[in-house]
Amino acid sequence: MMRRLLFVVFCVALLLGVALPAGAQEVVVTVEDLLESPEQYTVPGVPEVVVHGELVGDFGRRADGIVWAQLNGDAYAAVPLLAGGDLAGSNLGIGVRIPADLWPELADVAQAGGYRLRGPLVRLTGAWRYHDPARGDESYLDVTGIEVYSNPVLLVDEADWPPFVLGVLFLCAAVMIALSTRRRQRER
Amino acid sequence: MLVRPSREDLHVIGYYLGRIFYVVAAFTVLPLLWALGGREWAPASSFVLTIGAFALLGSLVASRPPRERKLDWSHGMVVVALTWLIVPALGSLPLALSGHFGRSLDAYFDAMSGLTTTGLSLVQDLDHLAPSLNFWRHLLHFLGGQGIIIAALSMFAGGAGLTLYYGEAREERILPSVTSTARFIWGVALVHLIFGVAALGAIAHFVLGFSSIRSLFHGLMVFFAGFDTGGFAPQSTSLGYYHSAIFEAGAAVMMVAGAMSFGLHFALWRGPRRADTLRNLETRTILSTFSFCLVVTFIGLATLGLYEGVLGLTRKGLFHVLSAHTGTGFSTVPSSELATWGGLSFVGVALAMALGGMASSTAGGVKALRVGLTLKTLKDQIKEVLLPERAVVSHAYQQSGRKRLTPRISQAVMLVSLLYVAMFLVGAAVGMAYGYPLQHALFESVSAGANVGLSVGVTDPGMPALLEVTYVLEMWLGRLEFVAAFSLVGFLLSWVRGR
Repeated sequence: MMRRLLFVVFCVALLLGVALPAGAQEVVVTVEDLLESPEQYTVPGVPEVVVHGELVGDFGRRADGIVWAQLNGDAYAAVPLLAGGDLAGSNLGIGVRIPADLWPELADVAQAGGYRLRGPLVRLTGAWRYHDPARGDESYLDVTGIEVYSNPVLLVDEADWPPFVLGVLFLCAAVMIALSTRRRQRER
Repeated sequence: MLVRPSREDLHVIGYYLGRIFYVVAAFTVLPLLWALGGREWAPASSFVLTIGAFALLGSLVASRPPRERKLDWSHGMVVVALTWLIVPALGSLPLALSGHFGRSLDAYFDAMSGLTTTGLSLVQDLDHLAPSLNFWRHLLHFLGGQGIIIAALSMFAGGAGLTLYYGEAREERILPSVTSTARFIWGVALVHLIFGVAALGAIAHFVLGFSSIRSLFHGLMVFFAGFDTGGFAPQSTSLGYYHSAIFEAGAAVMMVAGAMSFGLHFALWRGPRRADTLRNLETRTILSTFSFCLVVTFIGLATLGLYEGVLGLTRKGLFHVLSAHTGTGFSTVPSSELATWGGLSFVGVALAMALGGMASSTAGGVKALRVGLTLKTLKDQIKEVLLPERAVVSHAYQQSGRKRLTPRISQAVMLVSLLYVAMFLVGAAVGMAYGYPLQHALFESVSAGANVGLSVGVTDPGMPALLEVTYVLEMWLGRLEFVAAFSLVGFLLSWVRGR
């Protein structure tokens, strides 16, 4: 149920995100596109790209008023594993550099996506800086516009009893065997 | 004629294996506590199962204690080889149960990669993995890097210490007894742990702007993976996640400390022998090979024109050669970008991976001392050919004092070096058989066999199972430096064919 709901929310949000008016210079890309053909979308050839995904990990709030985060554009953003999503390979992520004043509400968001938390789904507009010489040839998205189209969602991690019970049984058996071994040793 | 192992042999091996499993079970309590503290119930259950499995297996194999607890050379080697096969098997239980792995073999691959401090990973959706499971992956680095056997020896030794110590590819006894050496190694690690986590955590908090708890988490994970030259990272983008040259520098200090032999740590701590360490063949060799690989990589990257700025080229080149040479495997670029490092940059990084760190360190690879002795042997041979017949060629070298390079040492050193090369080639051949290009297949094979962990994308959840098994074997053989693994094969052959 949770899985279906999240999937529907993701699809609707994605459609809304894509349908938003975009500038003539914007090119809608995926994170996978940026990782596979990074030089194709970089400035100055492509001034701005639009990319959707989930913000994961940490919000690195730096002293210069910049917030660094990781944007993942993989299947787990749509349906996380904890919500019943399927395995779909490794994560696909890029670094994003967000001026803090561009997203004042960020101060209220403590954590990006991680365990038990599907992070905020965002539509980011910005310049893809591939091997930016000003930052030691790092590659990242220099964000100029941000829209949160789905707020973070808490996920439930339910206890898994069978491994626990089996583990306790194993421990009991281990103690009994160890005691019996010690008794036999003493008798020798 | 092969002699079949007796029951007493099995009892001796079982007794020591059991003790080691108890020690690993005790270590597994740490991630369990982490999971309970974080209310991560499903991972907590899987850790209870793992502790139970280690304890049960330990009690079963040790249920027939030997009459004499004397461990001979072959027993010790078999214990070590089996330990490094079975611990990842049971240690993979929490990973397999996490739902982040496609098949059990993938979870075993990751546990073996963690324990052998390789750092190649098949985990899926790492960015949503439970912190306690992430801690477990990194703790496996710490356990493997310091040496499970070393951990066990710190707690119990008896007459078994020496053979187990050497079996785990440790070549240098720093203090008179193996137990005191083992305790010194753990002491070094704990001191580095305190300072390393404090330094990395402080950078994460004050420079990167992470929250205090998350800074501590990142500091701890990166310390484990850096100091133990492992290469796992808490996020999917490895060290590229941090976007910080200062953080990379902090991690680099940990990598260098990890790749230094514990003998060198001892000399640096104790003072009087500091000057000697710079004259040692091993130190001179590693400084030379590192400089060589660095220059080759720089030329390669400059030729490719991948990075425009000198600063960027230096930062990327230096970090990746250091990561490769120390056997760590951290990366600041995606594997798809690393795959484009062709020509000389590929040669520089691949060579650095193959050569590895110092002997008796947490690093993998052929190791600097072997490389130095191989080169010394070749140099002496050439001298003997070129000089007049009556000329006397010195076969001595400096390594914690003046030592003689005997033909036996030369043969042993060159044999192991050749075995590494053969292993890299076999792994590359399997990769090529599955259609991967030579450069990528060779890079990944060297990375697995030298326990590095840098990847050009061959290691992927969708990779063929046979290739996965090949890399698992490479990681195991590379970590044990062949001897213990061959002893296990010999033992099994004696069992089957002996009388």
